[in-house]
Amino acid sequence: MDLQNLNPSSLKSRFTARFLRALTEINAPKTISSSSPREIFQRYRRIKVAADKSMAYSVRSRRIWSRATLWRLRTRSRSRRLVSFGRRASVKTRTTASHGKENKEHHGAVLGVQAEELRELVPGGEAMDLCNLLDETAHYIKCLTTQVQVMRTIANLYSIE
Amino acid sequence: MGTWDNSMDQSDPFESALSSMVSSPAASNVPVSGENVMMRELIGKLGNICSSGDASCYTTPLNSPPRFDLSMVNLPNRSSLAAPFSADPGFAERAARFSCFSSSGNSGGFNDPLMDSFKLSGNQPINVDGSQSNKNSGSDKKNSGVSRSSSPENAESGVSKDESSVFQQIQSQNDAGTRKRKSTPREKPKEIPSPAADDAKVASENEESNSKRSRRNGAPAGNGNAKGSNDGNEKQRKENSKLLEPPKDYIHVRARRGQATDSHSLAERVRREKISERMKFLQDLVPGCNKVTGKAVMLDEIINYVQSLQRQVEFLSMKLATVNPRMDVNMEALLSKDMFQSRGQLPHGIYSIDSSPAFPYGYQPQQGLLPLTNGIPNTTETPFSMKTQGFLLPSVDGFTDAHPQVGPMWEDDLQSIVQMGFAQNQPQSYQGSIPTGQVKLEL
Repeated sequence: MDLQNLNPSSLKSRFTARFLRALTEINAPKTISSSSPREIFQRYRRIKVAADKSMAYSVRSRRIWSRATLWRLRTRSRSRRLVSFGRRASVKTRTTASHGKENKEHHGAVLGVQAEELRELVPGGEAMDLCNLLDETAHYIKCLTTQVQVMRTIANLYSIE
Repeated sequence: MGTWDNSMDQSDPFESALSSMVSSPAASNVPVSGENVMMRELIGKLGNICSSGDASCYTTPLNSPPRFDLSMVNLPNRSSLAAPFSADPGFAERAARFSCFSSSGNSGGFNDPLMDSFKLSGNQPINVDGSQSNKNSGSDKKNSGVSRSSSPENAESGVSKDESSVFQQIQSQNDAGTRKRKSTPREKPKEIPSPAADDAKVASENEESNSKRSRRNGAPAGNGNAKGSNDGNEKQRKENSKLLEPPKDYIHVRARRGQATDSHSLAERVRREKISERMKFLQDLVPGCNKVTGKAVMLDEIINYVQSLQRQVEFLSMKLATVNPRMDVNMEALLSKDMFQSRGQLPHGIYSIDSSPAFPYGYQPQQGLLPLTNGIPNTTETPFSMKTQGFLLPSVDGFTDAHPQVGPMWEDDLQSIVQMGFAQNQPQSYQGSIPTGQVKLEL
């Protein structure tokens, strides 16, 4: 028996608990299932946010990416468009600044290009050096796989009809 | 008296006191016992000078007058002390050398012309005191206890030693102190050993770092140091085989053969090793990366994987949004079963499901309770049996290629377990009111 499964406070269990809680909150108000695309889209967004948020909370800000995610979510919830726009703009400027891909590849910092891409992917990665970035990426990957597993299971359960 | 006058001219406070001091012993040809008394007098007066004089030069915290008294009292060779004493010219200089010695260990603040004149004069037993006080000051930062304990024997031997030897002692003590100090940072960060490390190859690195150190440490002790510092460094090199700049908290790395040994490249190397270590770890995480070599390709793979995972999350959340949510509690129970299954093994407790609403899975986790029952509408009377048939899961989407081993395992086990569980639970009507205390998840 894999001991990791039995750990009641493992990442998976924490995430599952939170996510399910969030899901019930999202789904509870609607007793009738609405099928309008717009509502579905809204729900999708909320669910996605809930997933990210519950994962970040499960990690409990031990990691830079979780802190960045939480911060991002909070600021987004406050002033939605403005902040996200600003952040996206800042990220875009960074990427355009490093647009000389071939040059970067042949330079001493061979990993410059990929590091930039990775920084975009991992939340909060912009401010990290490569060493920490790889650390965070490893943990982020682990959490993402957990998330995917749980969500897939839930989706499967829901889709049984 | 000529030299006396010269030295006297250079510092006024000294002049008056010394004149008074010198005149008194010179006047009386005292016996040996009396000399001791007068020596104590002198020392006391010197101490007064020190305390009343310029603080920077004389009154370091180590230069307290009582110490002067003690040192003089402990002198074995009082007669030799008396000799220069009566031959007063050099006395003032040597007496003032007390303070020189003690301050030189600190910061060389005593760079006065007095110092020069003192150095020029020959060494005599005052070195004993000077050495003692100097040792105390020099090692004050490090292990003062050692110096004080060793000072008596130094006092004995210091009588006949000359100035350079004194400095050598000081330097060796300094080195001993630094050696002690360095040994602690050496133990700490041993987690970054270079695989191809070789002790012999470190010699060059040590020389360089030692030379840097001697350059730094050489300043306060004066010019008699070169020999002493080299000796100390020799000892250090033999003892410590990996050293970097001592006072800073660097990670200690062994220089490999043929590689540059300055601090920048060493730090670079440490960084690179860390990065490659993490790349290896990531290689294990990302499936299908075992054959890939090279950082760039690895990173590309990692990026692709992260992107695919993120896309999966989005897809699944979309799916969850579209799926008609039937918030049955049993779903969550099933979920827990699925969580059991995700590693592909059956939990023991699965067979002990009885008709009670609780699902004792045989595990008693303290946490992981699903507070779902609160939010669940009680109208979920949907017959569970309906779910059993439809429970055969098709694989969700095309993303399972990323997790080939997980998917099939889920489905097989899920089938068997769920059917069992559902069969048992069918007769019940779930009110959705399963007491929270009994729904336990083991994930």
